[in-house]
Amino acid sequence: MLGLSIRNLALILVVWLSGCSGMDSMTSDKTNTRTLQLFNWNNYIAPETIQRFETTCNCQVKQDYFSDNEEMLAKLAAGATGYDLIVPTGNALHTLIRQQALLPLNKAQLPNLKNIESAYLNTRFDPDNQFSVPYAYTLTLLGYNKNKIQELGLPTDTWALIFEPEYLQKIKHRVTVLDSPRELMASALLYLGYSANDQDEAHWNQAEALIIRAKPYWAAFSNTSYIRELAIGDLWVVQGYSNDLFQAALDAHKTGRSFAIDYTIPRQGAVMSLDSMVIHRSGQHPDLAHQFINFMMDGKNSAELTNLIGSGNPNRDATAFIRPELTHYPVIFPDPSALLHLEMLTDLNHKQRRALSRIWTEIKLR
Amino acid sequence: MQLSNRLIKWLISGPPLVFLLIFFVAPSLIMIVTSFRLPGEFGGLAPLTIFSEHTSIDSGLTLETYQFFLSDWIYLEIFLKSFFIATLTTIICIAMAYPLALLIANSPRKFRNLMIMLVVLPFASNFLIRVYAWMIILGPESTLSHVINHILGVLGLEPVTLLFSPFAVLIGMVYVHLPFMILPLYTNLEKHDPILLDAAQDLGANRWQQFWCVTWPLSLPGIFSGSALVFIPVLGMFAIPDILGGTGDIMIGNLIKDQFLGTRDWPFGSTLSIMLTIAVLGATVFFTWLARSVMRSP
Repeated sequence: MLGLSIRNLALILVVWLSGCSGMDSMTSDKTNTRTLQLFNWNNYIAPETIQRFETTCNCQVKQDYFSDNEEMLAKLAAGATGYDLIVPTGNALHTLIRQQALLPLNKAQLPNLKNIESAYLNTRFDPDNQFSVPYAYTLTLLGYNKNKIQELGLPTDTWALIFEPEYLQKIKHRVTVLDSPRELMASALLYLGYSANDQDEAHWNQAEALIIRAKPYWAAFSNTSYIRELAIGDLWVVQGYSNDLFQAALDAHKTGRSFAIDYTIPRQGAVMSLDSMVIHRSGQHPDLAHQFINFMMDGKNSAELTNLIGSGNPNRDATAFIRPELTHYPVIFPDPSALLHLEMLTDLNHKQRRALSRIWTEIKLR
Repeated sequence: MQLSNRLIKWLISGPPLVFLLIFFVAPSLIMIVTSFRLPGEFGGLAPLTIFSEHTSIDSGLTLETYQFFLSDWIYLEIFLKSFFIATLTTIICIAMAYPLALLIANSPRKFRNLMIMLVVLPFASNFLIRVYAWMIILGPESTLSHVINHILGVLGLEPVTLLFSPFAVLIGMVYVHLPFMILPLYTNLEKHDPILLDAAQDLGANRWQQFWCVTWPLSLPGIFSGSALVFIPVLGMFAIPDILGGTGDIMIGNLIKDQFLGTRDWPFGSTLSIMLTIAVLGATVFFTWLARSVMRSP
């Protein structure tokens, strides 16, 4: 019995040692090529694009993913290091800048910066784009079952569709809104004629009353499951993100449903989440990161992203490479008049966050 | 001899004690301290003045979060609501688990293991996947919804939506927690000596009296441990109301989750967690007291 276990032990030791030496030879092979550490959203770059970059720079790209800005900030705060490049949304970008976690960009290494539409530069989060370059954006919109809404004769260009009982009674329990206090309040504030970033308490209370009045007609608060439910016809109207709605429209089309999914920017305006590329201080290869940023600002590479997930594209040169059936979407290339109505959310301080959380709890409970 | 006995006692009880210290006492203390701090600008906690030398931010320890908790009835309301749902789930679980546990306990020995395996079988697939499956079963275009609404239509009643409702949350809660009621009940019922029932019959008791005067009182410990295993997890559950609940189905677990992931308000999340821990401890003390007093009385 004892002899056997010792033999087993020896066997394990041998396997372990050989495994280690194997690993050693593998890593020593790789040290010749540099590795770009990318911290990105799920499904936010085409595999072909990565491959092309790897061949042009003679390097490797390794990706880690996050599904939420909060999650990304929390991982960095917990001590995650070594990321060369991160793709945060505006308010998270602002936080990273204030935390002094980012390297200033060397514009001389970024000639393709000229391709970016000026409307997406000089945001309030990073004036002069000292630290960030726009990557892509999503909008918070109304998505709907086109056939059903036409059949019921409802308007699709206004937030009234999810807030006014006169419309809601025709689509009762077939509507979901986002389970996000900031996004839902933003839509309510926009519908009331205020800014999405309005911080006046009286306006917040008005928005709360509007939401509570509409709530009995909604089926649920949903952040992800609405994609599937919309695509199979269970839901008729949703407040959702443009890339998710793109996914739902694609799914409905692919599975040959008898209806089409469409989405529009309401005339009162909408929230835009502009994601930017930034270089983290803890990264090993700032040069490679600059190279990557410049590469992604090339029209063709940027277009692949839109073709993949239907995200909005801030790149003027990308238009030529985007699938023709997508270019008519005002969501991907909003015209200048629509652009004026798009707002980016700013971060709230802790008192405001707590006040909003209380309003949110009240909304959920009533 | 006595020394080595004591040593063995320590060696045996040591590891679980260390485990409790590291994974229960220490986190609880961190939570208590956190609840007296202020949230930081970017989330997390505001820096304490005693740790930083040249800063003007003076947060220190504060009762602000507790005042905030008590300043509004809605938080107490959510606690009461969660207690109500947990109680209802527990009662439904008892009602559904008892006959089944009794059936298994009275089955021939060779079938019992198979039946217990069938009870445990759902655990083989992930809990979230099983809850998502209910979304499909209860969805408005599902067969079940069509059948129910057809019947309601024939009876001249309004159609109902099953998914995204308190009803769906209750179904999910009962479905997920039912095995936790069946298993302790079965373990208890299986040990009952059938001779007792024979004796009761000899003394003239009918079947109902046999159950009510012999089986039921003896099974109370099983019911109590099952209730604790169902009630406490349901109280803190957030996934099921998130997935199956409608616009009003918020529970205390959702509120706590929101504080950490959405609002970035660790102190308030900690305060709510402490309140929940106190409530759960209170419920445990109550159950223990109830169990003792019921079992002492004949």
